[in-house]
Order: sequence, then C-alpha cells, then structure tokens
Amino acid sequence: MTTTPIMTVTDLHKTYGKAGSKQYEALKGIDFDVQPGEFVGIMGASGSGKTTLLNMLATLDQPTSGEVTIHQQPITHLKGNQLADFRAKEIGFIFQDFNLLETMTAFENIALPLSLQNTPAKQIKTAVENIAQQLGIQEFLTNYPNELSGGQKQRVAAARALINDPAILFGDEPTGALDSKSARELLDLFTKINQEQAVSILLVTHDPFSASFCQRILFIKDGQIGQELQRGDLDRSDFYQQVLDTLGTFEQ
Amino acid sequence: MLTKLAMTGFKHRWRDYLVLFSGLIMSSAIFYMFEALATNHDFLKQNTGISMIGMIFQFGSVLLTIITLVYISYANSFLLSMRKRDYGLFMLVGARKSKIGQLIWLETLLVGISATLIGIILGTALTAGISQILINSLGLELHHLAAWYFPAAAVTLLLYVGLFLVAGLFNLIALTKTPALKLLHSNDQPNRPQIKPARQLIEIIVGLISIAIGYWSMGHLKQLQLMGIGIALVTIVLGTYLLFNAIFVWLMIALKRLPVANRGLNGFTLSQLSFRIRNYTKMLSIVAMLFALALGAITVGMGFHSQIPLMTNSNNAYDLGLVNTTKSEQQQIAALKPKTNITYHFKADKKTVYYQASEFNQHPFTTIEVQDKAQLSYKTVHNNAAQIKKSGFNYQLMQLQSGSMEAGTPVFLSSAAYQKLAQPEQRLTIFTTNDVVQHRAALKRLAKAHFHTTDVTNFGGRYASYVMVNSMYSGLEFMGMFLGIAFLAMLASCLMFKILSGADADKHRYAMLAKIGTTKHQLRSAIDKEIAVLFILPGIVGIVHVLFGLQMFKIIMITSPYTGIWLPFLIFAVLYLLYYLITVNIYRRIVLQ
Repeated sequence: MTTTPIMTVTDLHKTYGKAGSKQYEALKGIDFDVQPGEFVGIMGASGSGKTTLLNMLATLDQPTSGEVTIHQQPITHLKGNQLADFRAKEIGFIFQDFNLLETMTAFENIALPLSLQNTPAKQIKTAVENIAQQLGIQEFLTNYPNELSGGQKQRVAAARALINDPAILFGDEPTGALDSKSARELLDLFTKINQEQAVSILLVTHDPFSASFCQRILFIKDGQIGQELQRGDLDRSDFYQQVLDTLGTFEQ
Repeated sequence: MLTKLAMTGFKHRWRDYLVLFSGLIMSSAIFYMFEALATNHDFLKQNTGISMIGMIFQFGSVLLTIITLVYISYANSFLLSMRKRDYGLFMLVGARKSKIGQLIWLETLLVGISATLIGIILGTALTAGISQILINSLGLELHHLAAWYFPAAAVTLLLYVGLFLVAGLFNLIALTKTPALKLLHSNDQPNRPQIKPARQLIEIIVGLISIAIGYWSMGHLKQLQLMGIGIALVTIVLGTYLLFNAIFVWLMIALKRLPVANRGLNGFTLSQLSFRIRNYTKMLSIVAMLFALALGAITVGMGFHSQIPLMTNSNNAYDLGLVNTTKSEQQQIAALKPKTNITYHFKADKKTVYYQASEFNQHPFTTIEVQDKAQLSYKTVHNNAAQIKKSGFNYQLMQLQSGSMEAGTPVFLSSAAYQKLAQPEQRLTIFTTNDVVQHRAALKRLAKAHFHTTDVTNFGGRYASYVMVNSMYSGLEFMGMFLGIAFLAMLASCLMFKILSGADADKHRYAMLAKIGTTKHQLRSAIDKEIAVLFILPGIVGIVHVLFGLQMFKIIMITSPYTGIWLPFLIFAVLYLLYYLITVNIYRRIVLQ
C-alpha cells in the first residue's frame, strides 16, 4: 500500500510501577499501522495488554516510550486543551459499558460533542438526525439511556462517537455487554459505516466472532504482537474459522 | 469477621465518611448552640426583658428540629447508598440477614452518636468562642450566658439519638427486605422530569397563597401576637417547598429549550440539575429558610446595634461632666481629642448651683431636643443662659452636674451677683468626643476614677446613657448575631453536604466527558454553574423572606428595621460567596482527579 496510514504506532512501551519499586511491563514494543478506511481488530486474552494499548492509542493514558501518530500528528505528548480538542475532533470511542450520560436523553448524548464545539443548534439538530437515521435510532432520540436496551444504547454511543466525523473509531469490547443478536447488528453496523463512509475502525476484543468482522487482526500476547491475520477475500464465516484456529494455536 | 469486613468498607470510603461525619457534627453542634440559648431561661429573661422571647425560641427549636429531621434523613440515605453494595456483597457470600441487620443498626447508631457527642463538644467550644468574639467586638453586657449548658446538651443528644434510632430501624428494614442482587446494582435511576401542568399550577397557587399568608401575619404581629409567628412558620415553610417543587422542574425544562442550552456543557449542567430536582427541592427549601433566618437574624442584630448610638446620642450632647478635674483628668480628656471641651465655674449650695450667665453666653450649652420619637430624630440647640432657663432642657445640664450637685437647679447670675456669693468656686468640665462607642473604654476609666463607681445611676451624660442602652439591647443584639452565625453555618453545612454527597456519583460522568474530549476548563465551568444555581435559587427566595420578615421587628425596634440594611446583606453575601467557593473547590477535587 502506498497511502499514508491514518495511524502509526512505533515501538510502544508501557511500564507500570515507579523505577526502583517492583515494575511490570505491560507493553514491550508494539509497531503497526492502520490505513485509511481499514477495519482492524486487536485480539488477546485478559491481561495480554490490549486494553493498555487501546488506552495509549485513544490518548487516555501515556506510554513510557514510543510514539503514536494519528493523521500525522504525534499524540503521546498532547496535554490539556490540545488533548481535549484532539479527542473531540479526531477520535470516536465506544466502550463496553456504553458510557452514556444517564442524565441526558439519547439526542442530548449524541449532540454533546457538537455542543462542546459550540456548533449552532440548528446544525446540531440536522447532524444528530442524520446520524440517527443511518444507525436506525430515530425513534429513541427522546429516551433516556435507562429506557433503552443494551443494543440501542450501544447504537446511541456509536452515534455519539461518529457525529464529529472522527479520523478513527475505537471500540473497546463494544459487544461485551450485548446479547448475540444485538452484537451481530452492531457489528453489521460497523461494517456498513466502514464500507460506506470509509471510517477507519480499531476494535479491541477477545471475542473471535466480533473479530471476524475485521479485515485484519493483530494478536497480542504478553505485551507484544504475536501474529497478524489478513482476511483478504475470505468469506466472514471462513475467516471466523481461521480466527478460531489461530487462537487455538496462538494461546498455547 | 463481618465486623472486620464492615471496617474495611469504612476505610475504603473514608472520604465519603468524612463528608458524612463533618456534616453531622456541624449539624449537632449548631443545634446545641441554638439550644444553649433557647433552654437557658435565665439568660433569655435577664438579657431581653421581652416576655415573648422564650416562646419565640420554642418556635425556633421546632423549626430547627424539622430541619434536623430532613438533614438526618439525607445523611441516612447517603450512608445507606454507601453501604448498599457492601451489604449486598455480604449477603452474596452468605451472611445471615439477622447478622447484617445488627451490623446496619450498629453502624447507624455508632455514626450518629459519635457524631452527636463530638458535635456537642464542638458546639460548646463554638458557643464560647463566638460569644467571646461578639461580646468583645461589640462591647456587649450579658448575664447568665453559659457555653456549657447541660439541658441544651441533653436536648441535643436526645433528639439526635432518637432520630438515629429511627433511621437505623429504617435502614434495617430497607436493606434486609431488598434482594442481594438489587443491592449490588442499585445505581440511581433518573426520574424523567415531567411537567404536570395541573398539579404544578395548584402547587404554585397554594405555595403563593401560603407565603402571602405568612408574610401578612409577620407584618401583623401586633394583632396576632405569638400566633402570628406560628402561622408564618408553617405557611412559609410549606409555601417555599411547594414553589421550589413546582417551579424548579418547569424552569429547567424551559431553560433546556433555549439555544443557550446547546452551547458547551450547558445542556449537561441543566440535565444534571433536572436529574436531581426531586432530591434537591426539600434541601433547597430548607436552605432558603435557613438563609432567611440567618440573614434576618444578622440584620436584626445589626439593627439593634445601630440603635445603640442613636438612642445614646439623643439623650445628652456631652459625654461626661466632671467636677473639679485634676490635671491628669484634663490630660486624659485632651487625649480623647474632644469636639467640645468646656469648663464652667460655679458656686453651689444644697439646692442650687449658681453659674455666671456670661460664661454661658460666651460658651453656649448644647441641648438635644427630640423631634420624632419613632425615628429618633433630634436637633441640637446651642443655648445661652437665658435660653436654658426658658427651654426646660436644663435637666440636661443637671445630668452633667453629677455627684453632690445632681439635684441642684442651675441658676444664672450676673458676674456681680456671682462674686458676692460666699461659697467656694468650683469647676464643671463637660466634653464631647466624636464617638462614645469608640471611646467607651477610656470613658469608663475616667468615670471610674472620678466617681469611684461604674454604676451609671451615679453620673449622667452620653456615656451613662450608652451604658444603659447597651445593657438593654446587648441581649437582643447578641442573639441576633449569634443565631445568624449559627444558621449560616447550618445552611452551609446543609448545602455543602447535599452537594458533596452527590459528588461521588458524578465522578464517572465527568470522567466520561473528559474521554469524549471536554477541556478541563469546560468541566470546571460546568461544575461552577451547576453549584451556582443551587446556591443562587435559595438565596433569592431567602432574601425575599427576610425583606418581609423584618416587618416583625417593627414592634420592638424603635427605628425602621430596614435602616442600613445593605451592610448585613453585604456581609452575608461575602460569607455566602465564600461558602460557594469552598464547595466548588471540594467538589472539583472529588470529581476531577
């Protein structure tokens, strides 16, 4: 590929614990790229370091050494307002536990990133209605999160993550709290926005079914990338089988 | 084992317990402070001379008990919400319900009683400290004031322990009847803010009528007597609550429709507020009442304070009159930098004091003629000898001829007639300082050395009337100030407690906002605004209450209770602002880490 990657990760290290005390190295040098419009999965068992990695990529935590760039902008040393602006404009985030504000309606939750940028009310309304239509959540907009099912909540969360046209969308086990039907619908939705709007997606999961929706999967073990799997032209169900096989040998 | 587990839960959430404890300690300390005055009948009788005062304090006690009731119910639900998860966990690991019941009961009582005991000690210290400061800075004269007063401590302990027993019982039932899983996941569910126009309209109407009745009865205390205070107490509390209940919901929904709501975190702030409406209305009504009580008490206290110089000055134009001053006395007088300092010569027999008219024509004697008793307005008249004789104000001169000549009628003679008198010539020195209150200590020394007594019936003048008026008003002034400070502290502790007890639940919301790209500045200003609304609303209602409530004091105050009202309001505003800043600061520290 000759295009400029949307995200580059170079020799990323993370060590917990202060020097001198007992230290634990969670990440031991991670390198990879994400191309524009790519749908990448990161897989690994509990404790493999995948959540740590995601926190670095999403600027929620700072690495001990190494660099991450998104849109050619190095992000590991952003601070204060720069950091907040970066989060608001360049990345979208979907969490396992939805992270919706239960004091606000679905509409208000989705509109929040735009309100933060002081977008005019009319523009916000159009934007929210557009994205709600794409994600099929128009009829829930006036509901509060506790009046929605898990799947509906996650769609609202997705709408909030996407409303700013982020450079990349991060998903941290987004199907973790969903039943299988809702999970499948959400993953289909991810595939749809990835293909139709060329949104780059980085999905962290330990669930092979979720991972099988990705085009490329990085397997992480003990803080290092152990293996990489390309879907290529494979059918999703065949790819699922391949993921299962890989996992079977990888975790040994 | 369970006790050990319970203790670890305790350590884990020490910050929350600190909020809870300090809240309860402040509450009981202030209750004690109030009772220290209210139950001390000797103090009330001796210092005010108003027979109604005992009953007024009874009403105050009732009001404070209601406030305490709500306060403890809040504190208890806060305690309960802290412990729910832990107790759910104990149940999951197989603890018996009866055992858990014991634990809850014990914990509630332990927290309650220890906080109350510390509160009483703190209350005693505060009573001693505050009254010392007030007495010294205002120059008050008080009798029978005791910082440690056993009946007050007993009342406080009884009320609090009683309430905590009830609270413990309530917790016991609430927790043991709830299934373990529900306890584990009992996060607050938001109640959808709803507008029920009919109900709210009724609430508004009933609320307004109640408040109107309350205001009216405060203005007509002369006819209603004590009943008026009772009526006002019930109707204003009820009306305030109903109005907050009806208007707050409506206000938040209306504000959300404005375009401003879409800017920055405003929408979030409004949602936060409307999310908590039901929780907050009771507290806001109480805070509004406390605000009114505190501000009212301080205003009245300062009102009495400002009456002291007025009454003093309308009595005599001169601070003291001294006969045959010594050199050192003259030096002391000069050190006071008096505005006027006159020495008249006289000769006296048993019934008459003879002056030379020429001296009075040269240095006129100033008298004070009260024009309007209600407003205490007066004019000063400079009299020559003939005028004094005519005016009938010669008693003001007689007041100054203290000592042996007290009863001597002044007679003004020509120099020739005066020279013929055989009695020895003496001197009367009279002087006026610019402010008798300011120079009270020096005047006292002077009077004590000269008259060999501080009993003001033995000498006259402005200083003597200051001492008399001061001792008359000190009690009222002290009560106003003291209770004002106590209510203000209670108010702060109520509001801070309510706001801070919700802070823990807000933590994850602010963390979430940070994750989606909110700047620190935006988060901070959202917190500032949210808490500001919670401070301003009861403040406005409280000020309105005070403005009407001051009507009550028309009966016992000589001048209008509204005179110079800006000063207590300003002082109060500064203190209130200080509380706001402290609350915001603590809240920020809890929420944004």
